[in-house]
Amino acid sequence: MSKSKNVLRSFFSSIKLTIALLVLLVLLFMAATFIPRPYGIAWLADLYHSPLFYILMGLLSINLIICSINRLPVTLRQCKSTHPPPSVLFENLENERIIFTDKIDAACRAVDASLTAKFSSVKKLKTAKGIIFYREGGRFSLFGVYIVHLSILIIIAAAIIGSVFGLETDVHLQEGESASVIQLNKDKGPYQLDFSVRCDQFVVEFYHTGAPKTYRSDLSFIREGNVVHKGSVLVNHPLTFEGFRFYQSSYGISPETKAVLTYTTAGGKSTDIMVKQGDVFQLPAKKARATVLRVEENIMQLGPAVKLSIEADKKHIQFWVFQHIKEIAEVNPGLLSEVPLFNPGLFKPLVFSLKTIEKRYYTGLRVVRDPGVPFALTGGVFLLVGLITIYFTAHQRIWVLVEQQPQRVKISVNGISNRYSTSLAGKLNRLRQRISGEIAT
Amino acid sequence: MTDTVILNYVTFIYFTSFVLYLFRMIFLKEFWARLASFLAWTGFFAHTFALILRWKASYNLGFGHAPLSNLYESLVFFAWSIIILYLAVEWRIKNKSLGAFVVPITFFTMAYASIAPGINNRIEPLIPALQSNWLTTHVVTCFMGYAAFTVAFGCGLLYLWKSGKEAKYSPMFAEKLPPLPALDLLIYQSAALGFVFLAIGIITGSVWAHYAWGAYWSWDPKETWSLITWLVYAIMIHARYVRSWHGKRLAVLAVIGFACMLFTYLGVNLLSSLHSYL
Ligand code: HEM
Repeated sequence: MSKSKNVLRSFFSSIKLTIALLVLLVLLFMAATFIPRPYGIAWLADLYHSPLFYILMGLLSINLIICSINRLPVTLRQCKSTHPPPSVLFENLENERIIFTDKIDAACRAVDASLTAKFSSVKKLKTAKGIIFYREGGRFSLFGVYIVHLSILIIIAAAIIGSVFGLETDVHLQEGESASVIQLNKDKGPYQLDFSVRCDQFVVEFYHTGAPKTYRSDLSFIREGNVVHKGSVLVNHPLTFEGFRFYQSSYGISPETKAVLTYTTAGGKSTDIMVKQGDVFQLPAKKARATVLRVEENIMQLGPAVKLSIEADKKHIQFWVFQHIKEIAEVNPGLLSEVPLFNPGLFKPLVFSLKTIEKRYYTGLRVVRDPGVPFALTGGVFLLVGLITIYFTAHQRIWVLVEQQPQRVKISVNGISNRYSTSLAGKLNRLRQRISGEIAT
Repeated sequence: MTDTVILNYVTFIYFTSFVLYLFRMIFLKEFWARLASFLAWTGFFAHTFALILRWKASYNLGFGHAPLSNLYESLVFFAWSIIILYLAVEWRIKNKSLGAFVVPITFFTMAYASIAPGINNRIEPLIPALQSNWLTTHVVTCFMGYAAFTVAFGCGLLYLWKSGKEAKYSPMFAEKLPPLPALDLLIYQSAALGFVFLAIGIITGSVWAHYAWGAYWSWDPKETWSLITWLVYAIMIHARYVRSWHGKRLAVLAVIGFACMLFTYLGVNLLSSLHSYL
C-alpha cells in the first residue's frame, strides 16, 4: 500500500511529467485550432469541454501541488539556516574579492561600518576560521515560484467554477421588446430571469468613411412592472444588473420594420396603412387583397421601397412602391411604362405611394453570468506578482570573512544569489572598495 | 503622410545596417559593426519620430488614437519593439555580432508592412471594438514580448551557427562572437523577459475581452495560439531550470517558440478569428 503510494507520489512529483503534460497540451491546442469546427473529431472540436481536457488539467494541478509540497521544506530550510557559509565559498576566491591589511580590530570595524552603511541587519559570528559577517536580502524572491504556481491553480479553479456555475447566452431584442426568459446556449434549455430587460432604443452611428463608430442599446430593467434600472450598453462598456452582465454583441434590422402606405382612388386619398412584411390588407375595388412581400430600407440604391402582390378576380400582379418614385422617374424618363414592376399605379385605378419606413433595429445582447471572474482576476494578479518576484528580485546572501593569518589579516568577500545575476557581482565589488576605503581612512 | 515616407527611408536604413552587420561577420572588422550599429540607432530615432508624427496626425484628423490599430501600424510597432530591444541588448553585452541575425527581421517586418498586398497604411478611426483604454497596454505588452522572443530567436540562431562552425573548422572565425555560455544565458534571459511580457499581454487581453466580448477567455484561435506560445516558453524555462537543458536544445526551443509566436501574430489570420482586425 505505502509502496504504491510512493510510486504515485514520485510520479506526480516529477518535472518530466510537467513537461510531458505541457507538451501534450500544446499539441492538442494546435490540433484543435487547425481542425475546422463543423467537421472533424467531435471531442477535438469541443476540446475545452471534453473529459480529456479536464483530466489533463487535473493531472497538471496534482503535479503542481505535489511538487510544491515537496519543495516547500527545502525552500524554508534555505531561508533559515544560512548563517555559516557553504564551506567552498572562500576557496579559490579571485584576488579582486580579497583585501590584505594588518590589524584585525581595524579590519572588523571597517567591515562592520561598510556593511551597516549599506544594509540593515548584519550578523556577526566568531568561528575557528575567523570572524564572519553576514547579511541576507530578498528572501521573498524564493517564494515567487510558489506564487506563480498557485496562480496557475487559481486560474484553473476559476475556469472550472465558470463552466459549472456560469451561464452565457445571446438575446435578440427589438426596440420596445422585452425579455424575461433567456434561452441558454448549448441546448441547455430556457432560463427564467427574475426581472425583465427591455430595449428602449438601439443606435448605430457611422464615421464619414462609412466605418461603424458606435453601437448603443438603451436598456431598462423591469421588476413587477416598475423600471428599476436604466442604462446604456456599448461595445467595450457592458452593463451589470443582478450579477448578469449585458454586452453589445450584434445588431440588425428587424423584420418588424413597418411601412406607411397610402393609395389614391377616384374618391380621394386613403388613410395611412401601417404594414410589415407578410401583412395582408383589403382594397376597396373588386374584393382585392394586397400582400406585403418585402419591406426594404434601401433597394437597388433607390431608397426605401415595398413590394406588393395584389390578387383580384383571378388577376395576380406584383410591383414595387418606391418612396422616392417622383425623383426616380424624373431621372429616368419613360421608366414607369417600360418597367411596369416599378409602377405604383399598376393596379388601376389605385395609385400607391410609400410615405415612409419606420426602420426598427434589433440589438444582439450577450448575457453572461460567470462567478469565476473574481478568481481569474486574483489568479492574474498572483501570476504577475509571482513573475515579477522571480525575475526582478533576487535572494542575495553576502559573507565577509576576516581571518588572522601569520603575517597579516585577510578579508574575503563573497556571496550567493538565487538568480543568474550580474547585480550581485557589482554589489560585491562595491563592498570591497568600500571596505578598502574605510581601512585607508 | 510624411510618417509613411519617413518609414520607407527607415526600412532602407535597416537594410543597409543589416548588410553592414553581415560585412562584419565576413571581414571580421569591428569598423563595419560600428557603422552598422550607428545606422541602426539612426533608424531607431527616425522610426520613433515617425511613430510620434503618426500619433499626432491621428489627433489632427480628429480620431486621436495610438498608432496600433491595424496590421500596418502593428507591423511598424513590432519592428520598433525589436530594434529598441536589440539595441538595448547590444549595448549591454557590448558585442555587435547578434545584429546580423536580428536586424534583418526588423527590416523584413518593415518591408512587409510597406509592400504586402492588402495592407492599408492610412490613418483610420477606431471601430467600436477597438475603442478601449486597454488597446494600448495590451498591444504594447504583447509586442514587447514578441520582440524579446525575436531577440531570443536571434541568439538561438547565432548559437546554432556558432556551435556548428566550431565543430568543423576555424576557431578564429568564432572568436569575435560572444562565448557560447553567454549566448545560452542570453537566450534564456530574453525568453524569460518575453515570457513575462506575454503574460502581461495575455492578462490585459483577458481583462479587455471581459469588457468587450463578455468572456475573459473564449478559446478564439489567436487566444489559443498566444497560450501555445506562452506554454512553449514555459516548457523552455522548466526544461532549463529543472532538467538543465542548455545550449543547442535551448536554441532549438527558441526557434520553435519564435515560429509559434509568428503564427500567433500573422498565421492565425488564416483561421477565422474574433481578432480579425489586427
Ligand atoms: C504541473 C505543473 C508544474 C510543475 C510541477 C512545476 C514545477 C516547477 C519547479 C519545480 C520549478 C523550479 C522551482 C525552483 O527550483 O525554484 C518551477 C519553476 C517555474 N515554473 Fe513551474 N511547474 C509547473 C507548471 C508551471 C506553469 C504552467 C507555469 C507557467 C506557465 C510555470 C512557471 C514557472 C516559472 C516562471 C518558474 C521559474 C523558472 C525560473 O526560475 O526561471 N510552472 N516550476
